[in-house]
Amino acid sequence: MKIVSMDPEKCVGCRNCEYACSFIHSDDFDRKEARIRVSVFPNERVCLPLTCVHCSEPFCMEVCPSGAIEKDDVTGAITIDPNRCVGCKMCILACPFGHIYFNAREQVSQKCDLCSGEPNCVKFCISGALQFIEIEEAYQSNRDQFVTKLKTMLEKKSFEGEAK
Amino acid sequence: MRTPKPGIEVVQTLCRMCDDHCGINVHLDGGSIVDIDGYAAHPWNKGRICVKGRAAIDMVYAPDRILKPMKKTEKGWQEIDLAQALDEIAGKLRAIMEKDGDRAVGIWKGEAIGFAQQEDLARRFCHALGTPNYFSNDSECYVGRYIGYSLVMGALPVPDYANSDCIVLWGANPPYAHPNMTRAIMEARQKGAKLIVIDPRLSAIARRADYYLPLKPGTDGVLALGIIKLLIENNWYDKDFVEQFSIGFEKLARYTRQLTFEFVADETGISRELLEKVATMIARRAPRVVNYAGNGLEHHENGVNNVRAVACLDGLLGSLDHQGGNLLPEGAGLRNLTLYDEIPLQHLGPIGADKYPVLYDFRQECHTMTAMDTILSGEPYPLRAMIITAANPAMTNPNSRKVVKALEHLDLLVVRDLFMTETAALADYFLPAASFLERSELHEHRIYQIINLTRKILSYPSCQDEYQFWHDLAHRLGAGDYFPWKNETELNRWLLEPTGISLETLKAHPGGYRYGPIRYGKWREKPLATPSQKFEFVSAYLKGKGYPELPEYRSPAYLADRDEKYPYTLITGARKLLYYHSRNRNFPRFRKAVPGPEIEIHPSDAEELGIASGEPVRVTSKIGSLDIPASVVETSEIVPGFFQITHGWKEANVNLITPDAANDPISGFPLLKAIPVRIEKL
Ligand code: SF4
Repeated sequence: MKIVSMDPEKCVGCRNCEYACSFIHSDDFDRKEARIRVSVFPNERVCLPLTCVHCSEPFCMEVCPSGAIEKDDVTGAITIDPNRCVGCKMCILACPFGHIYFNAREQVSQKCDLCSGEPNCVKFCISGALQFIEIEEAYQSNRDQFVTKLKTMLEKKSFEGEAK
Repeated sequence: MRTPKPGIEVVQTLCRMCDDHCGINVHLDGGSIVDIDGYAAHPWNKGRICVKGRAAIDMVYAPDRILKPMKKTEKGWQEIDLAQALDEIAGKLRAIMEKDGDRAVGIWKGEAIGFAQQEDLARRFCHALGTPNYFSNDSECYVGRYIGYSLVMGALPVPDYANSDCIVLWGANPPYAHPNMTRAIMEARQKGAKLIVIDPRLSAIARRADYYLPLKPGTDGVLALGIIKLLIENNWYDKDFVEQFSIGFEKLARYTRQLTFEFVADETGISRELLEKVATMIARRAPRVVNYAGNGLEHHENGVNNVRAVACLDGLLGSLDHQGGNLLPEGAGLRNLTLYDEIPLQHLGPIGADKYPVLYDFRQECHTMTAMDTILSGEPYPLRAMIITAANPAMTNPNSRKVVKALEHLDLLVVRDLFMTETAALADYFLPAASFLERSELHEHRIYQIINLTRKILSYPSCQDEYQFWHDLAHRLGAGDYFPWKNETELNRWLLEPTGISLETLKAHPGGYRYGPIRYGKWREKPLATPSQKFEFVSAYLKGKGYPELPEYRSPAYLADRDEKYPYTLITGARKLLYYHSRNRNFPRFRKAVPGPEIEIHPSDAEELGIASGEPVRVTSKIGSLDIPASVVETSEIVPGFFQITHGWKEANVNLITPDAANDPISGFPLLKAIPVRIEKL
């Protein structure tokens, strides 16, 4: 199964993903309509893109009293059927990542649906912080990245010594 | 790419919503564009695009797009038949040229609709007609860097981010200005490359920097000289290259020797400690270092010399044309459309060439700011007619009030565009132009050494492509011999001929056709395109024109010659995600996302002035005043004492207060990024 992986080391907080998501879901560039959210903390120079990781055993699906949340057989996406959602917000409380939010206009909970298997946030991510990859690949790249990080950390030491 | 629905045809071309030229898929339903997304096989963007690219649909089908030629009459704009309009325009041009000479006509190219041939066709038309007066947006963007780098190494290099170990961005914010550079930079970082960002504003890319240097605007040159001083003092430079392939090293070394680190720190606001860290990081990673200078360096009174100082780093680091460094570009060898050799017209006095000879020598550009004075004064000769194609100087040139007055003063103004821009509104004739999706051009991506043929995907009957327009006008004015091709496809075939690549081959390679291998160290075999054929730390050419031979630093006026009446400094023209200069403000979706103009203010300045976000402030320069809402940014986002306004908003056009006479003496570029101002709460 493929997920949207998020790498804060690459995110520049440009918000292309938010607008692309809003566009596909609401035909507009309205951040309020975006399922993905990027939090930018300029002073700390931190950018955090956050979207649904489509858990294998999702709490939201478990607590939904109206059976509105389902796992898509093909894409593996956890989706909310707006026609069955009663707006009780239980899923919002249950999600450990705080991903689900309430659309007050429509009176339903909303979340990422992986755009039927071709997530727009990824297609419009110009930094490469978002990737649509197999979960196994995500693990592997994390491992590689850790090695690179360690390498540059160690390298930096000898290098700053040299500067003196 | 989105799996096409049944009945949907998908064709590939390049995006021209900005200068990045991404490979795109255009999804067509019965000939209408229904979606645009990234083309996976194009090496530049690898299937990704920005949201501006998709919004080409908004542009092509915009309800306010003008598809019919129009003429301004006493009753306002009236539709006119295209052939009739061209006849009338030709007649008026002829009368003007008969009375005041061919040079009384100017041609001005902008950025809104095309690629390289849009520019070269305009240049060709000028000389075919007999006027040297070619103008463009380039005289305030890009050419300052082109000149700075070319003086030193004979070309503007292309950055090899993918193979770099250290990337230094000087006054550049790729996420908003060249979005795809962002991915290349982040991929290099993932492999261990370091990123250093030098900018008075904490730009989007600065959020990811290993070192962020918030320097004062206009002081990049002295920062580069400080780095050079450290490289030389510590023997961290490529002695072989310097000895064999450069001139003027001793003079540069002597010059940096007398610069003190205290002076560098005072000017830039960057501590000696940080400077040393950065210089060490760069030296350690040489030669795989990219130094990339952005538009932020050009808009200063010492712009070219600041760029030259940065360019000198390539000669010291050995990064010139080294893998992972700055590469000397090689073209595909297309035919040249311009007529500078066949019909040289310099003796006719191209406007501004006397004041800014380097601008003309290097680019055959006339100086747009001087053009406004010429139009108004008739000195040194009358400039009475202008054809502007896809440019909006009434919004984007400095001192807009003068620009509007000058354009109104013309006896004939013809504007070709998609929309009724602020400039088009001043015209006598409006001719609807074909957008980039309605014409076919050749484009080289020199970093990959590939060439693309863009595709004509749709068309409107009265919206001519650039070739057809210049062709039709030239034939009406007795210059038809220079436009012999039947259409743009035949022109493309002619341009391609010497390369041996056929149009059919290009059609079969929508991801670009590789015209040659990427080669490094080309200067070993082929001399550099400088007068000495070497890397020039000093320029005898500049000296001969009365300029300093070294990339000397001059302190910006706001530091050296502070005027207490204007205690603050205004930066203009920082890019915003969705906008491309003055374009795209008419798309409702874009307005929802980024609704309007604002002035970025540091919290400490906001406190001193008693201003909160959203409140209107008045900004006053020597040129004029502008009222604009405040946006108080976070403490790290701008250097205190400096303010920023993005250009292109008609609601608060910052160019109403930018100077058109405080120019870089070499390039003629206007001072847009360090303007002394006064700020008041309203
Ligand atoms: S970066 Fe965006 S606007 Fe620029 S060419 Fe690519 S898709 Fe088009």
